[in-house]
Amino acid sequence: MQTPKMTASGVNVHYGSTQALFNVSVDIAPATVTAFIGPSGCGKSTFLRCLNRMNDTIAGCRVEGRITLDGEDIYAPSVDPVQLRAQVGMVFQKPNPFPKSIYENVAYGPRIHGMARRREDLDEIVETSLRRAALWGEVKDRLATPGTGLSGGQQQRLCIARAIATAPEVLLMDEPASALDPIATAQIEELIDELRASFSVVIVTHSMQQAARVSQKTAFFHLGSLVEFGETGQIFTSPSDPRTESYITGRIG
Amino acid sequence: MTHEHIAAVFDRDLERIQALVMKMGGLAEAALNDAATALEARDGELAERVRAGDAALDALEEEINAECAKVIALRAPTAGDLRTVLTVMKIASALERCGDYAKNLARRSLVLAEMPRVEGAAGSIRRMARQVGLLLRDALDAYARRDAELAREVRARDEEVDQMYGALFREFVTHMMADPRLISPCLHLHFIAKNIERVGDHATSIAEQVIYLVSGALPGEERPKDEGATLGQPGRGL
Repeated sequence: MQTPKMTASGVNVHYGSTQALFNVSVDIAPATVTAFIGPSGCGKSTFLRCLNRMNDTIAGCRVEGRITLDGEDIYAPSVDPVQLRAQVGMVFQKPNPFPKSIYENVAYGPRIHGMARRREDLDEIVETSLRRAALWGEVKDRLATPGTGLSGGQQQRLCIARAIATAPEVLLMDEPASALDPIATAQIEELIDELRASFSVVIVTHSMQQAARVSQKTAFFHLGSLVEFGETGQIFTSPSDPRTESYITGRIG
Repeated sequence: MTHEHIAAVFDRDLERIQALVMKMGGLAEAALNDAATALEARDGELAERVRAGDAALDALEEEINAECAKVIALRAPTAGDLRTVLTVMKIASALERCGDYAKNLARRSLVLAEMPRVEGAAGSIRRMARQVGLLLRDALDAYARRDAELAREVRARDEEVDQMYGALFREFVTHMMADPRLISPCLHLHFIAKNIERVGDHATSIAEQVIYLVSGALPGEERPKDEGATLGQPGRGL
């Protein structure tokens, strides 16, 4: 067993008086795609958002338990959440490029984190990020045009380029392809597989087939609890928990 | 599986495929018994019917494969559903082979009808065929009921079939040494016995598929197997 990139142990989340997550413990392995699946309201997105402290921004949200990145507690008082989110990047369901040029969308993160001192360095980061997001060929001649003018699939790849521009170690993706057509979805999935060489990827998806296609590990959440966590191949051929079986085979559980 | 799919048509597809396999099982068992009866009774007409009937088994296997391909393409089955589809295809293929063996038995029975009788052989073959037919039926019952316990019993019982084959093998050798005119019929009878023994192996593999279907894992090699028995030499495993 490799040393996990991230470790969550005994995580409870409350929104006000409502408990959304119950004692969740998961290891996120390095260079691995981990999929979180489960019905709506099962807590998978809530848990994903714990991994880069996105829940901090929600009033009344309380996170208990311990989550570490490379052994360091990410909820320690010394941790700057903005810095953390550069290390643990996020891509959302709906492509949300800034209302700026394609170039500025990607350059923004590296600039605020002081990653490039000279213009040439920034240019290089932008080009590399766009190449890795498999978008460079389509936009290299119009970097100054607005990111919002791209197609949905291109916008999502732009958001991925933006997320990887800060050289994160973990990339969180919340339904990154649910608003895209099958071709754009396939491109995103192919991209996820390539990114896996450099990052741990954690993806929340409602598409069982997508989880099966892109991930090596799958976690099934139900009613705020982690029901089963294992190799994706095992989860989809012989899950050990009957609730997992009911969900992935499309039965009334 | 106690719960039904949200998509009811998926349930109907899976049920239909499994009904086809049960039908194949019934045909294969009947073909084996009929062929053995034809052999003993020297009933050429019955043997012909078995020969002609094999086409129905082949057609059913093709239909099952086509239906499974459709379910895989349209429904992307997972977990227990996936194992159902995978095992259905393997079982259909095993039953198709059993049908071939029964057809071969029927063909040889027509040839044997023109040869001198080998004392007691046809009766022993028919008993062996009945035993294997029961094994096949129990394997398919275990499948229909998702009964891993019965499947394990079927696996264990295949040993008896191997012993019967071993006994027949020695009987044929004795006949051939005693009377060279019996060499031809004994060789045919030996092929028949070997083929019936192979049907028993297919019943075992169906039982193993049942265990995989129920538990998600194939059984290990704990089955008692006297390798010597299938070589006609009990107790002398090679």
